[in-house]
Amino acid sequence: MAEFFQALLQHTFLQHALLGGLLASLACGIVGTYVVTRRITYLAGGIAHCVLGGMGFARYMQVVHGWAFFDPLLGALLAALAAAFIIGWVNIRAKERMDTVISAFWGMGMAIGILFISKTPGYGEDMMSYLFGNILLITPRDLTIIAGLDLFIVAIALLFHKQLVAVCYDEEFARLRGIKASFFYFLLLALTALTVVLLVSIVGIVMVIVLLTLPAAIAGRFCQRMGPMMALAAGLCALLTTSGLALSYTPDLPAGATIIMLVGIVYLITTTLKRN
Amino acid sequence: MKPVHPIQIENLNFSYGHIPVLEQANLSIFDKDFVCIVGPNGGGKTTLLKLLLGLLKPQEGTVLVFGEDPEVGRKWMGYLPQYASLDAKFPVTALDVVLMGRLGITRGIGPYRKRDRTAALDMLDRVGMAQLAKRPLAALSGGQRQRVLIARALVSNPKLLLLDEPTSSLDDYVERELYDLLQELNKDMTVVVVTHDISFVSSYVETVVCVNRQVHVHPTSEVDENIIHSMYGEHVHMVRHDQEQQHG
Repeated sequence: MAEFFQALLQHTFLQHALLGGLLASLACGIVGTYVVTRRITYLAGGIAHCVLGGMGFARYMQVVHGWAFFDPLLGALLAALAAAFIIGWVNIRAKERMDTVISAFWGMGMAIGILFISKTPGYGEDMMSYLFGNILLITPRDLTIIAGLDLFIVAIALLFHKQLVAVCYDEEFARLRGIKASFFYFLLLALTALTVVLLVSIVGIVMVIVLLTLPAAIAGRFCQRMGPMMALAAGLCALLTTSGLALSYTPDLPAGATIIMLVGIVYLITTTLKRN
Repeated sequence: MKPVHPIQIENLNFSYGHIPVLEQANLSIFDKDFVCIVGPNGGGKTTLLKLLLGLLKPQEGTVLVFGEDPEVGRKWMGYLPQYASLDAKFPVTALDVVLMGRLGITRGIGPYRKRDRTAALDMLDRVGMAQLAKRPLAALSGGQRQRVLIARALVSNPKLLLLDEPTSSLDDYVERELYDLLQELNKDMTVVVVTHDISFVSSYVETVVCVNRQVHVHPTSEVDENIIHSMYGEHVHMVRHDQEQQHG
């Protein structure tokens, strides 16, 4: 552990990793609380897996067609937003079973990613870092994007908190009170998509759902209101990503997987505690 | 000026695909009436309710709430949804839930205002829940939660209170308390209760609306075995609620 803090002072990549984790934690706590209370965890998982399609497509265009500006983070952002809107629209319009629809997008998003990546020269290491994350590769440019998204998410959540809570608790009632409930449902899905993208850069597509939902779920055992639950979830997320990063450093373990194990263990321990 | 009915339905037809749910329905509900909408499951109660709330559109005929399209008229309506449709462990307090009734009245951006909180606390007081305003939803009993949700329906100062199966989760004693509360509220507003449970009807309600594809209106005094049998079929156990039993 001491070795980690010493290294932290020397290596900028570790400082970037730490800062990235702390910034993402803020959005994670806020949006994770909405996701857990509105029970759209599976939907968030679907969005996360669609992100691979966007990242694969972006990387392919960069390498094969020389679209230098179209980096995988931008591809991830577009794919996540598109997935959120399409899944949300299908949910409202078609009378299909929601979990089946999500499963379809979940698998197809991944398949699109795999197809593009397989046609991109030198794809192996890209795929690994998309799927399992690499917090140590966060660049200053990534940090700027993460900070910008963070600011946007926090601002929206602060301005429209009362509508978002009402839509999470009782969407029909909110609509009867003259709230544009569908708009706020889509806004919630868009915030979820943006948060997923933030967290993908830390722990990767496969494990993102743990970091999005478990800190909020842990906080939910100790808090009886949305605001404190968000604050505690953000704090837990920051603490656990930092601890995971520190623990993984000396034995040279993958940071993402270490963070996820830590979050999962804390969650399982708290489930054995009595609810207050 | 002719007085406007809280609810006015004329020649309403509604079907899902080829299956007719409501046929040639007509209904006028008068101001300050205490109405119970009863009928068997699948008889069209829920459809009628959704039409009144503006969540469904009539295919033929008209539905007016205070003389307006329900999407407009529903702002004068307080609504209590079915108990089972809501998460009982959602992380909010009683006050937080009541505040949701101020949406559409309060400002669009930012937190609720002080006057919203004052109105919400007044309404919790009115339903006898002032002491429990800060109590989390998960720590309330079924009857207390219904009162909180009624306060949420009332906090927008409605002229019509619409309740969907308000007593389905409650035991008899709590059910009677809730009807006493509704009777009290009925002094100031029209109350419409939708239920499949007709056991209490006679002691509180003035008008009974029977919905089973057709809509029939009866004053409560007229509701007897024949009407109930024609609606529900032969095998119904009737329970009489005599007035004395309320005090027992």
